[in-house]
Amino acid sequence: MPIIVNLDVMMAKRKISAGELAERVDITPANLSILKNNKAKAVRFSTLEAICRELDCQPGDVLEYVKEE
Amino acid sequence: MNLKWTAEKSLTLTRMLTLVMLVLAGAALFCIPIMTEWYDAVSGHGPIRSVLTVCLYLSDFLGITALAQLMKMLEHIAKQKVFVEENARCLRLISWCCFAVTAIWIFLAFFRELALFVAFIAAFAGLVVRVVKNLLAMAIELREENDYTI
Repeated sequence: MPIIVNLDVMMAKRKISAGELAERVDITPANLSILKNNKAKAVRFSTLEAICRELDCQPGDVLEYVKEE
Repeated sequence: MNLKWTAEKSLTLTRMLTLVMLVLAGAALFCIPIMTEWYDAVSGHGPIRSVLTVCLYLSDFLGITALAQLMKMLEHIAKQKVFVEENARCLRLISWCCFAVTAIWIFLAFFRELALFVAFIAAFAGLVVRVVKNLLAMAIELREENDYTI
């Protein structure tokens, strides 16, 4: 997928653990792991909104478009 | 007496019917020589016993393969594994079995035109199974997308 989720980078910047973020965003740790490992097929706006709120960032800080070769 | 019809009971009935068909198809293997001998005696046309025997054996083996795949699918369904790739694979194999039977009976039609009727039924069944397989493949894709939407 050409969309890369840079969640772990932002989590490291904000010094927040996966378990804590999952709890604050109200998703399961398993789903957060799917998102972190770029296995997700889609992200709901409500999830993205909660992530941006909790990490105090913009969607572009978490998502990145990389051109496919 | 509880006569309420449930999905579980329906599945059990389907499994039993498939098993009966499998037993019948297995038993038919032993009856093929008798059937072909009888056909040659009553048909009134030229003898085609050897060709008919080979065609019937091949068709029966393909039928048993298709029924075995059906049993496998029903087992998956009983385990709540419906939208899985294995089921699509089973349906694909069943449809190819039907098309192979079609080819066999088209060949047999060179000897007896009536065989085209069986070939048509097998082709139709193969086509229906193939459409269901395409439907299932799409459903698997949708389910996967749904599962991986966070």
